[in-house]
Amino acid sequence: MPAHAGAGRVLTGVYWATFALVAAMVAIPVVALVYGSFRTSAPGLPGEWTLRNYAGLASGGVLSSMLTTLVIGLFTSVISIVTGAAIALILHRTDFRYTRIVMPLIGLTFYFPSFILAMAWIIVGAPGGIYNTVVDDMLGMPWLRADIYTAIGIVFVMVLHQVPFVYLTMRGPIIGMDPIYEEAASAAGARPHHVLLRVTLPLLGYSLISSFILTFVMTIEQFAIPALLGIPGQVTVLATQLYLLVRFSPTDYGLAAAIGVALSLITGAAIWAQRRVTTAGRLTTVTGKAGRMRDLPLGRWRWAANLLCFGFVFLGLVMPMVILLYTSVLKWFTVNPLEGIYTLRNYAFIWESGSTMGSFTNTLIVSGAGAAIGVGLGLLCCYFTLRLRPAGHRTLDFLASLPFGVPGVVLGLGLLWAYAYLPVPLYGTLALMVIAFVTRFLPYATETIGGQMVQIDRSLEEAAWVNGATRLQGMSRILLPLVSLSLQGAYFLLFMAFFREISSAILIYSVNTSVISISIWSFFEQANWGLASALAVVATVIIFVAMALILRLAPTARRG
Amino acid sequence: MSIQVEALTKGYGPLTVVHGISFEVARGEFMSLLGPSGCGKSTTLRCIADLEDASSGVIRIDGQTVSAPAQNLVVPVHERQVGMVFQSYAIWPHMTVAANVGFPLAIRKVPARDVARQVDNALEIVGMRHLRQRHPAQLSGGQQQRVALARAIVGRPRVLLFDEPLSNLDAKLRESTRAEIKRLQRELDVATVYVTHDQEEALSMSDRVLVMDGGRIAQAGTPKQLYRRPANRFVADFVGRASFIDVTRRDGAGWTTAGGLALRLDDTDAPTAPRYQAMLRPETIAISAGGGAEAPDDGLNVLRGQVVESHYLGAYTEYMVDVAGARIKVHAAADFDVGAQVTLRVAPEFCRLVAIDDTAQAP
Repeated sequence: MPAHAGAGRVLTGVYWATFALVAAMVAIPVVALVYGSFRTSAPGLPGEWTLRNYAGLASGGVLSSMLTTLVIGLFTSVISIVTGAAIALILHRTDFRYTRIVMPLIGLTFYFPSFILAMAWIIVGAPGGIYNTVVDDMLGMPWLRADIYTAIGIVFVMVLHQVPFVYLTMRGPIIGMDPIYEEAASAAGARPHHVLLRVTLPLLGYSLISSFILTFVMTIEQFAIPALLGIPGQVTVLATQLYLLVRFSPTDYGLAAAIGVALSLITGAAIWAQRRVTTAGRLTTVTGKAGRMRDLPLGRWRWAANLLCFGFVFLGLVMPMVILLYTSVLKWFTVNPLEGIYTLRNYAFIWESGSTMGSFTNTLIVSGAGAAIGVGLGLLCCYFTLRLRPAGHRTLDFLASLPFGVPGVVLGLGLLWAYAYLPVPLYGTLALMVIAFVTRFLPYATETIGGQMVQIDRSLEEAAWVNGATRLQGMSRILLPLVSLSLQGAYFLLFMAFFREISSAILIYSVNTSVISISIWSFFEQANWGLASALAVVATVIIFVAMALILRLAPTARRG
Repeated sequence: MSIQVEALTKGYGPLTVVHGISFEVARGEFMSLLGPSGCGKSTTLRCIADLEDASSGVIRIDGQTVSAPAQNLVVPVHERQVGMVFQSYAIWPHMTVAANVGFPLAIRKVPARDVARQVDNALEIVGMRHLRQRHPAQLSGGQQQRVALARAIVGRPRVLLFDEPLSNLDAKLRESTRAEIKRLQRELDVATVYVTHDQEEALSMSDRVLVMDGGRIAQAGTPKQLYRRPANRFVADFVGRASFIDVTRRDGAGWTTAGGLALRLDDTDAPTAPRYQAMLRPETIAISAGGGAEAPDDGLNVLRGQVVESHYLGAYTEYMVDVAGARIKVHAAADFDVGAQVTLRVAPEFCRLVAIDDTAQAP
């Protein structure tokens, strides 16, 4: 029938447009990055083909930062997985009394931006910071001094940042696990701790490995924490080395690109391994009936469970927030709150400063409009890869998930290379920022929307077609209303991710396109702790409000 | 090797699912808990294993009190030495067959050599020894069932507990496994509680059956007692197939239907109740064509009626016969047309009087 054929043509057109757009968004920075890694000169300048950048990877400096990256990544992942899994088990498998309090607080910690967390810990742990002043001057115990500008400091703050992620990824498997395996072990004579060690943890093995690998990936592509803590302390990881090579002279864009390629290969390999693990794990999936195993008694270990859970929430959320609030209302920074001169001038400055308000406006535009674009693109990708499945849908699926493996700062560098050559005047515009963010977080949108779309039975749409609806009508009248919750969830997820994103923005922003995260970063680098803290407090409040909206709208969209 | 349960109560908040039930299972006895879903049978079993906390009452295994909430005494599940088979088998997917079966021994620190020997024995008994190195994912449902069985018996448990172990098997396998469980239980000579909603399973395997309804014991007895002399309408309905005719006590002796027909019933030990019905088992009724001539009184109850439905089931046909307004099920090999006039004959010993408890409305 002509009507159907017409709708089919429209859909085919939309499909190829989506395909081309996603392919361009993903391929352009990747190709440009690879191109750049074989060039002798900076982007846009005449140069020659060379292998010297890859030879440069073998230089002592790069090798040592690669080693530092891997060591920091491994330590962070191991400590995070142990802590996060322990908290998840305590909250959901024992008679811990405060699950209802701790659970939402850990959710908040998850959305606490890493660079703000790092700033707060610098105010605490820098050589002249709160902690050292207290132990040195007030307590007179200089042997307790500690320095946050070290590899250990980086691991510590990264652990605080990653534990909520581990918790959120482990919570589902722990709650969804069929309790019968544990009951059978108890009936067979195993004591509670034997049940935990011999049945519960092995059954969670695949989830633990998967969460471990993802944590490792997020850690080695983490930019803000190692930059804020490592650059002053001269602890260099690959992501910060790339940044230093681009931003500070002597610049070497080619070597930076080669480092970006190397870093992407590491993260890409890790993600490939993680996918393999989850596919293998599906054979022995342990989700079953939602029966509830009796809570394990904590007994005399209750104090340890309380200490771990509340200690984590304190170090990862409460104390950093208090420190930032405190710093934001001080006229001059002082450790002793009794000696402080309090002022609201930092907050007033946010209002009065044109550039700061400008970055607020930019952030709202980028986050608000960018998230809408991201959701729309994500919806189209999901519809084509999960429902319509035309020729090439596997390629589209692969392209849309590729940004998972590209660290933000590498993506930024790729765009930097790309738009120096492309005849589109995008460099230095907000549009480039939107492109960077949408590309980087497209997998968030497809995961959230796709997660709900696969649960909707195809027959619901087929019934619409049988009853005379075209494909387009089936999509708009049946599918869209049914996935609307996940669309809202994805929107706020992207909004929040864009709002706090810094790693892919740091290389491509210009004076006119600065966003809030960049402003906070710049104030902090200028040692203006008060202004940076005030801005951080405002940004955090906005993020938490967005998170409250997410929880209200789409409880399933909580995972990031 | 026995189980005693006294006044066991289990509640979840305001909801009570087991209302103070008491029973005993002797050494070597096979007892089934039979009832519809939600009747509290699984909860009772799980209280015996300590997978649920009993709210009150006393549970003893082998004379040792293992649960007495009033005295704050609870022996935890891992110290109760029970063998248990779960509905979904609960074969740990990350261990081999041998590791699964050996778990109850290894966890009790039995030396590795003895573990291997006993595991082989247990697997030999269920005919799975050749698959000892397999992983659960490589086993069929029936094989997993056998592994679960081997795991339950390997530690020489004091009692054996089964929680609907056959409900995930197909019909053929179910029958052969039934016989096997029964044989094993005889050999081990251990007190066994078997939870099921399948009356055929309960009747064929058990020494004694406890029918549960709404968290209470509706009747306890041997399979024959339950089938032939159900204590009330619920048991009569749940165990086997049955039809019912309202009856009232006639002046003097005997019983009569609402239509005035006198019936000879088995009313020995019948409880007193506000209302009564006669229960007829469909396979005990003889059916013949015609509603015609008076036959000499041969001591049988004679009912006349009309076939209103017929369902051909292969081995027999199930007829619904309308007898003065009451629907009577009859199983017969002979063919009758719907609408045919028929005569039903049934011996008094197969006409059992059952009590209708108006407070617990029968379905």
